[in-house]
Amino acid sequence: MKYFLALFVTFTLLAADEAHEIIKKLDENMRGESIYMSLSMKILSMKHLREMRLESYSQGTKKSFVKILYPPKDRGITFLSLENQMWQYVPKIERVIKIPPSMMLQNWMGSNITNDDMVRQSSIVEDYEPKIIQKSGTVVTIELTPKEDAAVVWGKIITNIDTATYTSNKDIFYDDEGKEVRVFLYEKVKKFGKYYIPTYWKIQPSDKEDSYTEILIDEVQYDSGISQEYFKKSALKRFSR
Amino acid sequence: MFSFALKNILFYKGRSLTTFVLTFVSTLLFVVYVSMMDGSHKSMLQNAIKIYTGAIEIYHKDYRDIGGNEYLIQDTSAILKKISQIEGVEAYTSRYETFGLLSSKNNSAASMVAGIEPEKEKSLSSISEALTEGEFLTEKSGNCIYMGVELVKKLKVKLADEVAFIGAASDNSFAADIFRVCGIFKTGSFEFDLSTSFLSRDYFDTLMLSKNKASYITIKVDDLEHVEAVNEKIARVLDDNLESLTWKTLMKTMVEAMEVDSIFGYISLALFLVVIFFVIMIYGFINVSSRIKEFGVLRCVGISNSNIFSLLFYEIFILSTLAIAVAAPIGGYICYYYSINPIVIEGIAEMYKDYGIISDEIPFDFSVFTLAWNILLIYVLNFLSILYPYFYINSFRPIEASRHV
Repeated sequence: MKYFLALFVTFTLLAADEAHEIIKKLDENMRGESIYMSLSMKILSMKHLREMRLESYSQGTKKSFVKILYPPKDRGITFLSLENQMWQYVPKIERVIKIPPSMMLQNWMGSNITNDDMVRQSSIVEDYEPKIIQKSGTVVTIELTPKEDAAVVWGKIITNIDTATYTSNKDIFYDDEGKEVRVFLYEKVKKFGKYYIPTYWKIQPSDKEDSYTEILIDEVQYDSGISQEYFKKSALKRFSR
Repeated sequence: MFSFALKNILFYKGRSLTTFVLTFVSTLLFVVYVSMMDGSHKSMLQNAIKIYTGAIEIYHKDYRDIGGNEYLIQDTSAILKKISQIEGVEAYTSRYETFGLLSSKNNSAASMVAGIEPEKEKSLSSISEALTEGEFLTEKSGNCIYMGVELVKKLKVKLADEVAFIGAASDNSFAADIFRVCGIFKTGSFEFDLSTSFLSRDYFDTLMLSKNKASYITIKVDDLEHVEAVNEKIARVLDDNLESLTWKTLMKTMVEAMEVDSIFGYISLALFLVVIFFVIMIYGFINVSSRIKEFGVLRCVGISNSNIFSLLFYEIFILSTLAIAVAAPIGGYICYYYSINPIVIEGIAEMYKDYGIISDEIPFDFSVFTLAWNILLIYVLNFLSILYPYFYINSFRPIEASRHV
């Protein structure tokens, strides 16, 4: 009996370790030590397609800077996230606006991603507890549930991770009541140095079938030594131009 | 039997006086309490409808459940034209509402920002009357924003200050602007005053690209009693993708809360009435117990059981009628007086602001129908109170009762 109990405990711990390890590698691929990305975004809502282009600079989970390049109407809008705070600069009104935590779940610029997604404040490594629920070839399905003290917006995330590249091909997000809210689909995985990243993302809200957001990553630079100037409040105006 | 009952009432003064006083007190308390409870509920509803919610509102289906710009009403003017021809509609207007971020120099707050037609709004809601500082909007107010007093406090702004707005326009594109605080309102509803601000639609529509679109259309009816009938007429002229809802659906939570409150109120009253019922019955029983010999003799000389019942019935009928005849006009007058001149308890609105109480006034409701059923219930309870004493007397045989000591 003791033997089986010990075997069971060991197996459980190993599975938990494996889940943590997979999520950690996935997160490393998505963030690196620092990452610069040039992105194109297509937003379909109300049968109307809008296009955006933007640049994103981030370092770890605490520092992030985003600048909109296109369309001309929105060019120069910048976002900065430091620790758990977020600001936005709008050139049209020449104001820096602090985004309250209560609005982190709001849609970002009319897309199907949230403010939280954009600045990636919450971390799947630090804020969620992973558990392997299925394995199929190299693809592992992991359920992420929020840690007790984590200030996160999702009730649960189910992610399918290809352990050949440690990239996700599908994330399903659920709210606190367990209702499916949206699905992230990832394709076209490319290798940049030692990192793999999907370069095509599609975000589909579960309750609006005729609405989606596509993100195409045009350029990626990992660990390129992003200047710390991007992660100061003054950057909002300075790099807006 | 009636004159016999009258003699008994005069002879057993203690029992008669007790029954009279208890019936009087319970009738008065019952009538006044029900009037106060109904009056408070009606007042809460009327206030809620008066502040902002319309008697009838038209939405695109799914707007209320899912929300978002996908479910805005398109071609609003065509719908308004149809509504204008419906009998029973007193006034109507369209509103465009969006949730955005308002930001002062140092503070930010999420707010529902509504584009309204100021002149039409004056006859549909009381938001213009809720003005405390500055001025209400006009069609040509431009970037003037009319803000709730709690939101003003949260943002730490004052009249003429600027607030930045960011949000999503009606096509989901990014919208941002600077507004100037021109007016501050206080409805008394804490949540509303904390989360709501208004702009003239003329200006707001340009920013939000919402010309001829609306979040919903709000309608005032001639007579609130006929709201369902008017709503049916409206529903008939609307396209299938639109729905027309009355205040009963729009304020379902409040209606349900008031129903629960009423139930608890009636349970409390029922407990009180049960106590009164038993006290009257016990007094009746004690009285009857002391008269067993009398009833025995009556039955020995040929008075039937039904006559005995009639005797007890007349006794309680006379006493109840006398007590109710005094209590009902007094209770009715109290209800009528306070329905016109509500009781004012300073600070009650502040204390119960989260429950939709926006005034320190507690109005009563005067309704002849309510008064009638209240009185009828007291009568019924009093009549029921003679049943047990009657059955108790009947448990004795006439000879046995006539020898009872």
